[in-house]
This record gives sequence, structure tokens and C-alpha cells, in this order.
Amino acid sequence: MINLHGLILADRSSHELRELVMCRTSASLPYAGRYRLIDFALSSMQNALVRDVGVIMQQDYQSLLDHIGSGKEWDMSRKRGGLRLLPPFGLDDGRSQYSSIIDALISVQGYIRDIKQDYVCLCRGSLAANIDLAEVMKRHVSSGADVTVVCSERSPERRHYRFVADDNGYVSEMLMHRTGAGEGYASLEMYIMSKETMLGIIDRCDSAINRKFHRDGLGGILSGGGRIAVYIHPGYAVNIDTVDTYYRSNMDMLTAQNRRELFPDERPVRTKGRADVSTHYAEGASVKNCFVADGCYIEGSIENCIIFRGVEIHKGAVLKNCIIMQDTVIGSGAELSSVISDKDVTVGEFITLAGSPRVPLVLPKGSKI
Amino acid sequence: MKRNCIAMLLAGGQGSRLYALTKDVAKPSVPFGGKYRIIDFPLSNCANSGIDVVGVLTQYRPLKLNSYIGSGQAYDLDSSDGGVFILPPYQSAGEKGSWFSGTANAIYQNMGFIENYNPDNVLILSGDHIYKMDYSEMLREHVQHEAACTISVIQVSMEEASRFGILSTGGDGYINEFEEKPKQPKSDLASMGIYIFNWQKLREYLIADENDPNSSKDFGKNIIPAMLAAGEKMWPYRFSGYWRDVGTITSLWDANMDMLSPTLINLHDPDWPIRSKSPIRPPHYAGPDSRISHSIVTEGCEIEGSVENSVLSSSVRVGRGARVVYSILMPGCRVEDGAVVEYAIIGENAVIHAGAHVGAQPDGSEGWSVATCGPDIEVGSGAVVKPGAMLYDSVPAGEGGESK
Repeated sequence: MINLHGLILADRSSHELRELVMCRTSASLPYAGRYRLIDFALSSMQNALVRDVGVIMQQDYQSLLDHIGSGKEWDMSRKRGGLRLLPPFGLDDGRSQYSSIIDALISVQGYIRDIKQDYVCLCRGSLAANIDLAEVMKRHVSSGADVTVVCSERSPERRHYRFVADDNGYVSEMLMHRTGAGEGYASLEMYIMSKETMLGIIDRCDSAINRKFHRDGLGGILSGGGRIAVYIHPGYAVNIDTVDTYYRSNMDMLTAQNRRELFPDERPVRTKGRADVSTHYAEGASVKNCFVADGCYIEGSIENCIIFRGVEIHKGAVLKNCIIMQDTVIGSGAELSSVISDKDVTVGEFITLAGSPRVPLVLPKGSKI
Repeated sequence: MKRNCIAMLLAGGQGSRLYALTKDVAKPSVPFGGKYRIIDFPLSNCANSGIDVVGVLTQYRPLKLNSYIGSGQAYDLDSSDGGVFILPPYQSAGEKGSWFSGTANAIYQNMGFIENYNPDNVLILSGDHIYKMDYSEMLREHVQHEAACTISVIQVSMEEASRFGILSTGGDGYINEFEEKPKQPKSDLASMGIYIFNWQKLREYLIADENDPNSSKDFGKNIIPAMLAAGEKMWPYRFSGYWRDVGTITSLWDANMDMLSPTLINLHDPDWPIRSKSPIRPPHYAGPDSRISHSIVTEGCEIEGSVENSVLSSSVRVGRGARVVYSILMPGCRVEDGAVVEYAIIGENAVIHAGAHVGAQPDGSEGWSVATCGPDIEVGSGAVVKPGAMLYDSVPAGEGGESK
């Protein structure tokens, strides 16, 4: 067993995910044909033999609860320990509607104090990455750093934190709110630190003015002479926080290299099972460059599409550059391009819908068109 | 805790007529229909029928079967007071212990297990058929007719009838005759090898049969005829619907092909799901030049070539320019660039190297049949495997393989 406890932030969703998070938090957003985003954090932990994991929730978490259940799929349904769901605790001062990492950590302070393991891994439930946590942990312990931050060589266009490291791999400078490539490495906002270090950060930041995890928490460690080590995750990694990153990251799965990095044989990604049959391609179906889950019935033509479980695409329907979430039905003769269809959508016969790859059209969950 | 009915699933046979496919695994764990193994059908039927204690009797090469069934979690059978139990032959103090010598003996040796649940009735199943059946309906008729034994029957054509155990019924509807594989069948009601017995009755007959040195300890040959001869009430439960034996290469191939016609057996039915333990794989990927038509494809596959009228299990790879026609590809097998697989069954993790050719279209000749490559073997680049071949071992590059 590994001396590491998992703590997943599934509390907030970026508003820029718009319709996609209307009925769920981003951690339970369907992704890559059969997953929910939180599967990656849970599986990374499971594959490193982490057995006790807390999931911090705040709002719109019904779909997350439904997905995770008892944590059985990730072998985290245990008599002692295992998976713990941490819903908001009603506070009279209205702090249950918090908005920062520190607020989230403060809200589960009691839980953190009771953690049995010496080390804690904190990460976001919306990160699509398959991270070798056992390796990160090994490096963290041998480096003697107070905190290890997992970074990527790929830089998102969106605002993010960057860490500049010296020759020994220790952070010399932390850059706030950067966009695109630049000096240092982009943070994936996944951290390993000792339980004491985490409680220390919470303590330092539990005041009205010093309430920032990065600026005051990590910054405080650096200015106090502490050390932060950088671990570069070599594979695919995207934090899903806009409709655009959602769309493009799904489309990334059409490239073999990205699939290999996100789904390596040695670290499988687990998700909630369904009793689906294999996907049936009817006579006359056409499929080009698509990523298709089980349980679908495909009679039409699909090209450059991500198709989730249980989707039906009827005769003569033509789909290009689309993401079609589970149990959606596309009527015969319909034509869709650059569309993201949420779950359980029905698109009637001979309907034409078009977005553009830069601005995909989003059909909300359950809509009938 | 007491049960009204528990199930005993006979999964110990080798299935020797599947040859290379059951060289290392028991027949019930042979992959089927893309997502499944044969045993998923009776186990899912049990779970869907509300039978929550299932003893699985294993004997031949049980390793794969044991790990596949596990705690029965895939079938929601992992309850605290019941579930799926693997029952291998065992030794007792002061006795030598012995292998199961027949289907009846297998149950005889596990009477202790059955008595744990003190059931009124015991359902006997086998692990070599593909079908969906509500056993609770059968149990209802069994109880209603106060039968000592109820046998599930299906109508077959008179030509086929001599391959089955054939039942005849009297004017009162009860069974009055049973013949195993009769030359001149007297009826078209075939036994499906699914029985519900009143447990106390069955117990008596099992003990009597065990003490008969001339008995072959078999349900069809000994127990059923003995009960009939003694005048016990035996009721036929008439089943209509899809039911296929998959005990031979041809029938296994046929039944897999049936999965391409959802009208024959609806596996999408949310009220009667057939569950399986799936390997953990991402969705399948179909490349820019792939062509997939009238086929089923499972998660983890990577397809760059063309696939027609075929059944692809999980994690199958079909390379560029490769062609798969009317074939069954079991989990993890690989058809490399430019290879052709026609009218064939390819076992788990077998590799068909680039440019090899396995099987051929039916040409009307006597000797033609489906070609089979056993699990884990390799067919070398450019090698040719003739129709009807049964490969237990790899074929070197450029050679022909037809070994039996």
C-alpha cells in the first residue's frame, strides 16, 4: 500500500463550460466516449494503489454521486477507509457557497486532520490526464521537497499557473495567470505534500486577506525557505474548463499518440459499467476516423466523431466533427456538423444542425429537436 | 438461509468438439458475441430470474472461469447471503475423493452445498447454450403442476430431433416418455438440458443412482429415465425463443453470426440484460480508411482495414488493407496489414501476420468448412490457412497450415 491519501476537488465548474455544466459539475462531464472526467483522477489514484480518497463536492453533484456510487469500480468500496464523498457542510455564515481552493480545504479541515496517511495528493476532478502517481510520490519523497507540483510541457491557451524550476528541479519562481507558452512549465494543479504541510497552508490562508492557495499558500512556503519540486508529466494532459477545450480535447482522441498516452495498457482508466452490447454497424454504415463506445447502433455515416455508449444513428444520417453523448438518437437523414450533443438528445429526421469547429453547437441534455 | 430455488450450473465439461478453442479453457469461458463468454447467458438469466444462489461446478481447466466469474459482481450476484460459488471436486477426511464422473455425480458430490440452503427446488443448468429464459416462469409451472421434475423443452424439426433427448407427453400434459438421441423420434419436443427438481426427490434418486454400479451417473441417461420409470410427475416447460447449442465449431460460428441480426435475439432489452465482465478498455477506433459493414465491434478495437459480416470482441486490431469477412475474432487478436481472414474463428490473442490468408469462401465442395486458429498462435507472414483447418500451433511465414 502507498502512504498517500487522495483529495479530489469536484467542487466548482468553470462557467465557460456553459450548457455542459447546466445539470452537473465538470468532474462528472462525459468525456472520450465512455468516461466522466473524474475517472482519470480516480484511476490515477487506483493505479498507484491509493485506497483512501476524499471527493470534495459543493453543488450540482447528483450526477457525480450517481456516477461514483460506493467507489466499487475503482476498488474503493472498503470496510475501513476507501472512498469518502464530502458534500458541503452547512455553515451559518454562508461560507458553504465558497469559491476558492482554500475555502474548499477549510470546509473539510476536520476530514484532513483525520487522514491516516502521511502524504496527501490534491488534484482537480476536471483534469483529463493519466498520471503515474506512484512515480510522482517516489520522486516527492526522495526529493525532500515540501510540495511536488505536477506540470506539463504543453501550455494551455487559457490562464494558468507556471512554475520555473532550477537545475535541480526545484521551483525558483511561480508565475501567476499566464496564457500560452512561456518560461517554466504549466501547472496541472496536482500536488503532493505531507498532511502537515497541507494543514500549514490552510492555517496560513485562513484569514480574510491571505486567502489564495497559490499566492499565499505555495508562495508562503517558497518565501519561508521551503522547497517545491516540479514533476513533468510526460503524457497527454488537459484541464477541461471551456466548451472549446472540451471539444478539442475530445477530438484529440482521434490521434493514436494521444489515445496511447491517456489510455496506456499499464494504467487502465476505469469507469462506471453499463451492461452494453457491442456496437452494431448495419449494412450501408460508413465510419471514418471515429472513436466509438459500446452499445451503439450505426446505420448512417460518421466522420471525425466521438460517439458515446448507447447512441443510435439512423439510415442516411451524416455526422461530421461531432461529439454525441450517451443514448442520443439521431433520426434518419439528419445532417450534423460540429455539434456537441449532450445525453439523451433526440434529433428528428432530416434536420440539419451546424456549428463550426471553433464554436461548436451545444445541444443541452434531453433536448428534442 | 432457506431458499425456494437455487441453481447448479454444470460447467465442468471440456467441450472437446471445439478442439483448439478449449485446449486451455473450459467451454463456458469461450468468448461469444463480442462482449460475452458463454457462461454469461445462464448466469445473467439466473440474476434476472431472481435466483441468487448459483453453484458453478467446475472440473476441466477452471482457472479462467474462476477468475472470470470472481464474486459474481458483474451479474449483481455478489450478495452477502448468497452469490456465485465455484464448486470444484474435493476430498473428504478418510476418503480418496474423486473427479466428477457424470453430471448427476457432480451434483451428488455437492449435496452438502445444496443442503446449506435447504431449498425446495434445484435448477440444473449447463454452460453451453445461448438463450434468454425466465427461470421463475419455469419454476412457477413446476410448482403449479406439483412436478417432481420439470424439463424445459423446445420444438425442433423432425430431421434434427434425433440429435436431442426427445420427450413425449400424455393426454394430461405430463411427460410419459424420454429417449436420448432416438433414431426414430416419436415427437419434436427436445430437452434443453434445463431441469428443475424437487430437491427431496432428486436427493433420493441421486443416492440410489450413486449406488448403482452400472449407471453412468448422468441426468439424461440415468436420473430422468429412473424417475419416469418410477412414475414420478414430470412436467414439460415449453420454451419458445432463441436457443442455440454452441458445442461445435460450426454451431459456434452460426450462433455468433446470429448476433448480427438483432431480430433473432435482442440483447439490447433493458428488462433482461445479459451481463458480462468487460475488460477495461477505451472505445474502439475506426481509422480514416476503415470500412465496417454489418458487423459488431467492441471496445478496445483499432480498425484500419475492412470488416464485413463479422463479430469482433474487445481489443481486436485490424491493420491497413486487411480484410475480415464472415469471421469471429476473439479478444485481443490481431490481423496485420494486408492479411485476409474469411469464414474463420480466430482465438484469443492470436496473431495473423501481414499478408497471411486464413480460410476461404464456401466453394460448394464437401470438405469446406470454417477455419479455426487456436488462442495465442501466430500465422506467419504470407502463410495460407486452408478452410476447415484446425490450428493448435503456429504456422511459419509463407507456409500452408491445415493440421488437425
